Amino acid sequence: MTAVAVRLVRLHATSRRLPAALALLAACAAGLRGTLYGHWDDYGALQLPLIFEAACAAIIAVTAGSPFGEPERATGRWLPYLRLGTAVALTGLASGALAAAGAGMPLAGGFADIVRNVAGLTGIGLLCATVLGGPLAWTGPLAYLVIGVYGLYTDWHPPALSTPWIWPARPPHDVGGALCAAVVFAAGLAAITLRGAREHPGGDGPG
Amino acid sequence: MTAASAPAASRPAAARRGAGSAVLGSGRLLRLELRHNAMLWLLPVAFALFWYNGYREIMALPPMWNLRAMTLQNRLLFDLMVPAVGAAAWMGSREGRRSITDLVAGTARPRWSRQLATWAATTAWAELACLICVAVVYLITARHASWGGPLWWPVVVSAAGVPALTAIGFAAGAWFPGRFVTPLVTVVVFFGLAFGTQATSGDHSYWQISPLTAGAFDIGAAPGVATFYPYLPDLSIAQVMFTAGLTVAILGALGIPVARMRWLAAVITAAGLAAAGTAVALAGTGRLDPHGMIAIPALHDAAAGQPVRYTPACGRSPIPICVHPAYAGFLPAVTTAVGSELTEFAGLPGAPARISQVAPVYQQETGNGINVSAHVSGASEFIVPDPLPGQPGGTRTQFAANLAEGLGLQLASYVILGGADQSAGAAPSQAKLAVIAGSVRFPSSVESRDLAPLYGQVLPEPGSPASLAAKRFAALSPAARHAWLAGHLAALRAGRVSLAQLP
Repeated sequence: MTAVAVRLVRLHATSRRLPAALALLAACAAGLRGTLYGHWDDYGALQLPLIFEAACAAIIAVTAGSPFGEPERATGRWLPYLRLGTAVALTGLASGALAAAGAGMPLAGGFADIVRNVAGLTGIGLLCATVLGGPLAWTGPLAYLVIGVYGLYTDWHPPALSTPWIWPARPPHDVGGALCAAVVFAAGLAAITLRGAREHPGGDGPG
Repeated sequence: MTAASAPAASRPAAARRGAGSAVLGSGRLLRLELRHNAMLWLLPVAFALFWYNGYREIMALPPMWNLRAMTLQNRLLFDLMVPAVGAAAWMGSREGRRSITDLVAGTARPRWSRQLATWAATTAWAELACLICVAVVYLITARHASWGGPLWWPVVVSAAGVPALTAIGFAAGAWFPGRFVTPLVTVVVFFGLAFGTQATSGDHSYWQISPLTAGAFDIGAAPGVATFYPYLPDLSIAQVMFTAGLTVAILGALGIPVARMRWLAAVITAAGLAAAGTAVALAGTGRLDPHGMIAIPALHDAAAGQPVRYTPACGRSPIPICVHPAYAGFLPAVTTAVGSELTEFAGLPGAPARISQVAPVYQQETGNGINVSAHVSGASEFIVPDPLPGQPGGTRTQFAANLAEGLGLQLASYVILGGADQSAGAAPSQAKLAVIAGSVRFPSSVESRDLAPLYGQVLPEPGSPASLAAKRFAALSPAARHAWLAGHLAALRAGRVSLAQLP
């Protein structure tokens, strides 16, 4: 990799606040580790990881927003690859950090659950970034967090929600849930790679 | 008018004009903020989450005001939390996010005043969403409920919780403007609110101050709570005090950096914190009353402990069953579940003329354990089993099984064993056990292990001769069993009927 490419990657990372995002992902992992030391009932034990997974996905989605807008799109052909690489790298790092935080602890669902949920939630966030813009991309993952938490709740209080589109409520190795999460992640990656986050001409969104 | 009096008269008028223009200006600012508020755009998200998470479950509950109102309190704030906190944080961070803090510092209004207008607009939209959700649930419930009226305290708690949520979000956005603050503060509040109740233990817990907690933690929305006795507002008052105090404290803290208003803001913050702290302390003095609600001595009104007056709803079965009118929708299910027993025992010596529902009695045990019992005198009283069909975990099959194990067995054993006349401590004869077992129709869902504690007491051991005789007796029709009992009940009670003599 040439020095120019390295500089391009570094500038792109800086413009997307990647250092802050990485620090926050590490904080999420530390938070998960800390809460796992607590005593939770069955609901809490299952729902707890989902909260941190959603927080990571929201952080990744927010980084998709560009501070430069239209001028950046005219600078060259590498931008889509940079967007794709950023999203994939952050998703992998978030999954790894959360899995590492849960190592040796009673983490419900395990690594498979983390990868599926982080990928699916990030996909939702990236799709939201494409539609709503980077600053408001958090709405998707956090709204889905409420849906996922309710899905896990129905595992105790039938009728359980059996649709694979609510994958947090499915067992970790459920193929349907994993496929749905993968489809959403792929759609989010494709959207953010090809179109990038939406830009608001008059500011950064409503309000 | 003299020259001396003219200025004196014009000063109040000028002050009035100034106050009027300030009010007009505040109104105009609020209108602008209402039109350009992120919460307005997030209203569809709020409604979608409430429909998915709260509305469907609330509407699946039996149409009883207590069940639906208490479940509404538990769900509504939870569903509004993400859009309300997120929008408030987004609006709070606006000046910092757009780097216009210095630009607007020169405007006529102080920063605190501008921030309060933005917060008020955000809260107004969130409150509107809250009230629309309440209105939908209550209007539909009003059409279906067989008795009673809306419970307003759960609504007041939810409505008071909305400003607290937006205040937390707004303050976080204002103090730490940045692109990551909005999702982070939303997640933190979600975690605090959703998991805060996990620390609740017993009726003295400080954590029941959470506005999501409707009543005693391990009872929650139960059909027997606030049906026979009025809804106790003690905990609700403490929760409203807490959320209002928190809101005032946070909004006051926003003004502390303003040099001219520092003392006023500090006093407001301290007052809010004092109110919130007092509310938490009051919640810690709560105790579970026998009617299933949390009573707080300092807030308790003794007059609220009087039972509710009602006219029972009675069925037309051979032995009429009467229930509280709020349960009227379940009367057919009750009479069907124990229909054969009612036909069999009607008119026999010792059988009640009618059977009336009584209130359950709740008692706190260690931790979050709650003992639910009833002061039932004889076979003429019973409690409707909980959960009802439609409640989480409640099915019609389970309801019928609970009725057979409760009301059916209670009626049969009372009549066959002679009720109050039975000799204390004497084990019932095998013939009596066979007749009781043959009279009660247990649904197929009732398993042997469920009945194990009753073997030898009111039911025969499985596989015993008495059990075989019970099957023979059960094969008769209820009318045939009634006819046999009419002629042999006295002899059966006296122990003069053997298993071989059973039909």
